[in-house]
Amino acid sequence: MSAYGINKACYLMQVDRAFREQVRVDPARALAALPLTADERQALLSADVAALKRFGANEILLARIPRFGLLGLSREQYIERMRTLGK
Amino acid sequence: MADLAGAFATPHFPQAPAEVAREGPRSQIASLFSAVRAEVDAVDPDVLVMFDTDHFATWFYDRMPTFSVGVADRTAGPGTDEWPGLPSYEIPVQAALGRYLHRTGIRNRFDLTLSEEFGVDHSIVVPLHFLNADMRRPIVPVWINGMAPPLPLAQRCFELGAMVGEAIRAWPEPLRVGVLASCSVSGEIGGSRALPGRPYAAADEAWVQHVSGRITRGEVDELLNEATEERMLEVGNVTGEMLNLIALLGAVGGRRPRFLEPLYAFGGNVYGSWRWDR
Repeated sequence: MSAYGINKACYLMQVDRAFREQVRVDPARALAALPLTADERQALLSADVAALKRFGANEILLARIPRFGLLGLSREQYIERMRTLGK
Repeated sequence: MADLAGAFATPHFPQAPAEVAREGPRSQIASLFSAVRAEVDAVDPDVLVMFDTDHFATWFYDRMPTFSVGVADRTAGPGTDEWPGLPSYEIPVQAALGRYLHRTGIRNRFDLTLSEEFGVDHSIVVPLHFLNADMRRPIVPVWINGMAPPLPLAQRCFELGAMVGEAIRAWPEPLRVGVLASCSVSGEIGGSRALPGRPYAAADEAWVQHVSGRITRGEVDELLNEATEERMLEVGNVTGEMLNLIALLGAVGGRRPRFLEPLYAFGGNVYGSWRWDR
């Protein structure tokens, strides 16, 4: 399980300002070309960071979703969802 | 011949410039950066060789080198790694020294990755913002993968630092070289332990004290045995940044620091200076 597509989406949210803006405006379209499974795509669109972490995504990269205020996820919601994983 | 004139360690948490602007020059964070800056200015190196861990900005999983060196005339940062209050800089790079370190590494069995075009993120910009007025001194970045496991062994990072230190001392140009480690010692970003409203977790103070004690007592072998990937990741997912500090210890031959001060804010950090000019 590589979770490469999830990590790449989060990577692009930082390094590619046009991608970041497209995620803000039309997330489904922004993610369309990325190598994601249906489950990964759905978890990203619903900002289910616990599921993304379970799929193997890197949490340092996942933290960029609330950092840039994307996918409607606040820092508080991010932490709350990550906590459902236990330590 | 070049001289390895001194070595320095600071954290690079991206909130530091804004925090210092808000809290003023007498705040703890400002004072610690100033203390290291005074040491850099006293040693007055011509160039800074930086051991650094990129945070998925310069390097990503499409190509993820364990050890790499930047060889160019200039770079810039933090680019798209934007943080409130963190200025952008053009930073000169000492290409000839970088080229020499790359070649010397290869000849000494360190198969370093080379980059001749690169930007740098906050992990390089923040220490230089505080230590390198007007970006007067050029840098040579030496990146160590400290956050995309599998991480390199602490022993290997120490050996990398030793190779870099020896190479600097053998460089035929009359150049004063400083080594700068950009690192945390207890860091966790984006995990379930993050503090309310923050991206980072509280410091593991016992671990920071333990590591600091090992370094100030010169117990390098013990530290290299203890700083396993498992232990570092247990402390936090970016604690592998301390491999930069371990490389610094290699460069200075395990010498004890002149000072090494902890900061238990924005994770667990240390500020240090190694000098032997007096």
